[in-house]
Amino acid sequence: MMFKLNKKLLISISAAAALSLGLSACMENAAPVDSITPTKASIDGGVNYPVVNDKTGPYYINTNAHNADVKYGRTPTKAEYEEWNSDMMADGTGLPEGQGTAEEGEEVYEAKCVMCHGDFGSGGGGYPALSKGNAYDLHKTLTNQRIKPDTDGPVRVFGTYWPEASTLWWYIKDAMPHPLTDSLSDDEVYALVAYILNANEMEIDGVEVDDEYVLNREKFLKIKMPNRDGFEPNVAGPQGPENVRKFYANAKNFGGQTYDVKNPASRCMKDCQEPTAKVVYIQGAGISDFHPPLSTVRDLPKEKENTNFDAKKAYADNCAMCHDTGAAPAPGDKSGWAALTAKGMDKVYENGLKGTDTGMPAKGGSSLSDSQFKSVVDYILNQSK
Amino acid sequence: MDIKKSQQDLNAVANDAESTRLDRRDFFRKTAALSVTALAGTSLLASEEAGDPAILHPTPWGTKWGDPVTKNLYGMPSKYEHNVTRRYTKLLASGNFRASIAVTPIQESSGIITPNGLFFSRSHGGIAHIDPNEHRLMITGLVEKPLVLTMKQLKRYPSVTRTHFIECPANGGQEWRGPQYNSLQFAKGFMSCAEWTGVYIKDILKDLGVKKEALWMLAEGGDSSKMGRTIPMEKVWDDAMIVWGQNGEALRPEQGYPIRLLVPGWEGNLCVKWLRRLDFASEPWYCKEETSKYTVLKPTGKAIQHFYANEVNSTVTSPSPEIDWTDLKDGDIVEIEGLAWSGMGTITGVDISFDGGKNYVEAKLKGLVLPKCWTRWSYMHTYKKGQELILASRAMDDAGYIQPTIDQETLVVGVEAVYHRNAVETWKVEKDGKITHVEIRSQLGRKANGELVIEGKA
Repeated sequence: MMFKLNKKLLISISAAAALSLGLSACMENAAPVDSITPTKASIDGGVNYPVVNDKTGPYYINTNAHNADVKYGRTPTKAEYEEWNSDMMADGTGLPEGQGTAEEGEEVYEAKCVMCHGDFGSGGGGYPALSKGNAYDLHKTLTNQRIKPDTDGPVRVFGTYWPEASTLWWYIKDAMPHPLTDSLSDDEVYALVAYILNANEMEIDGVEVDDEYVLNREKFLKIKMPNRDGFEPNVAGPQGPENVRKFYANAKNFGGQTYDVKNPASRCMKDCQEPTAKVVYIQGAGISDFHPPLSTVRDLPKEKENTNFDAKKAYADNCAMCHDTGAAPAPGDKSGWAALTAKGMDKVYENGLKGTDTGMPAKGGSSLSDSQFKSVVDYILNQSK
Repeated sequence: MDIKKSQQDLNAVANDAESTRLDRRDFFRKTAALSVTALAGTSLLASEEAGDPAILHPTPWGTKWGDPVTKNLYGMPSKYEHNVTRRYTKLLASGNFRASIAVTPIQESSGIITPNGLFFSRSHGGIAHIDPNEHRLMITGLVEKPLVLTMKQLKRYPSVTRTHFIECPANGGQEWRGPQYNSLQFAKGFMSCAEWTGVYIKDILKDLGVKKEALWMLAEGGDSSKMGRTIPMEKVWDDAMIVWGQNGEALRPEQGYPIRLLVPGWEGNLCVKWLRRLDFASEPWYCKEETSKYTVLKPTGKAIQHFYANEVNSTVTSPSPEIDWTDLKDGDIVEIEGLAWSGMGTITGVDISFDGGKNYVEAKLKGLVLPKCWTRWSYMHTYKKGQELILASRAMDDAGYIQPTIDQETLVVGVEAVYHRNAVETWKVEKDGKITHVEIRSQLGRKANGELVIEGKA
């Protein structure tokens, strides 16, 4: 019986009557038999296991331990609090004063970001794109679904998808550049945000963010993201958590299926597939780039044939992502390297090992030993004589 | 993906799957006959003079001293197990393998515990190696009494030990538009299960005077990515924990040593590693990993945010593409085994299908059945040489959810969701006993209003 109901739900996902049936079935049965029925459905649509007779679900609890007046630790100082309090809320709480233009942002971007995020934030090499063009136009692609080979997918980048600009400012400040985070000044972050707004062809208060646009705190707070209302449930405001609870109480909102937990025998056991359903195979070879390759053999590990360090391979694995993309001199770039070696090899090694503030992470972000890293430097320079 | 190019009629493949029961009757008849032989004969030993060298030849390990106990004071697996490792693919690599994942070989897992060295590893800024003496936990925001704790102080709170899985919500997320991996490790290995020890956050908070306006908690990591996520207070007052112990020892660096958040049943990403700060506020935060990622874009153009729980799910783990049935003989009785799990509650049952989810029979649960935890299930099957089968498992939980078919799930959330895919998974048993990952699904189309529909459906 339940299956027939589910099947109807599936066929007509917009049938409101069926939806409410699914909802009540789920909520009625939200508690396991041996626990107190919660007064309302759990916020995640699931069940929880309240403590009953010193047990929560199958686990025993020492109730005395959890009721005891256990306190440790101390109050943080103001300086400690401020040092770690780097988060930023959507309303601008936590956003410092400062300013920057897209033009200034471009300079920082070219020095510290382009090697991963590509020209004008176009992405590449597994790194996220920051823009794919005009955010307002591309926002319309969010309804795209690649259900057939000739259909385009949705564009999900900062301009088209993110609901709040605060996320961008906070994330750049705290977590970028990826190999050396928390290293940009507030003004640099404003400049980078202006640059990314510019790349997404966005406006603030009807004014285009062009090269000279001076982004500051006041203007930042006026940014309205095209996809601000593109998310459900609505988590903002005092009703936020209750909106979430309501959303997950209805399995149809998130593609879930329910059954009658009090009468599990009613679930579908026969003819549970659509007649149109086919067996679909992996296309071509599928994804099989697995490291190490799949194997279930029980044998002795192969002796390492060549214990000699392969500097060329180490370069390709750790350095090429910047040095082969124009962000830093490539092997063979005689003039580029001559400028650096002019300061002496000790300086070249030191800069490489310790990193520089112009974008070179310590040892290129690799886990090579110092001597291995030096042999990679030697390899590059031998190519560049 | 274009299903028509690669489709096969479901009925044509699992043609005689329904004869499984008849096979069992045949089997009982045969077993009865064998038992008679056993009673009549005085010896069942094979008569050949030679035998298995593994038995006939003395072995070095059976005749010579082994290692002294002073060797390997922290034990390592047998060197013969060197192929049982986490694995990665460059397609899921970013940030020079610092914003990447290495997944668990669940095809080799036994029971419901993942050993710490095989627990899947996901980081956003690389694996931090934190000095526990230099690590602090700070609790701030809408509390009367902000707090800072050393790790030693934190461990003075009454401890709680729970067994829970942690699953990346992108488990199976590369296969929304069709199967991609002929591998259980990559199709379902973005998860692991462990016994965790730590404290309930509520036990620390009860003395801090959390203000009633506090609706949300920010959990933030101390690694270079400062991973942050927003958690609703209800979960904090329920079962959210800060954990330092994993399977009887300290967390591994890959799991956030010295401490991580554990939000039982919810997205692995919420279980913030290298945890250093909890902050409380009346509004959620819009962290990068809860807006740009970890959101589920539906065909309506709206995306689901704050999608907490990993929904009810299951997979057949034996056989798998990695460990298949090519060694089985006709008539062998073989255990089909699998895992089921739900972040919304406790597994109440698992059904198994031999025809791609058209018809089901009940499987049996095995061992401990715990909330928000891996649960083992099993079904005894008589293998018929040359028979093609399409194995599918379907789990259900005490919250009232049952795994959807791919069609049921994609009609609602489409094929661009990336996260939270829990539709029934299928392995095809080929004629030679090899196992192939397939999906059972209809070709989708769109109505003028954008709604997804099944093409060719009457």
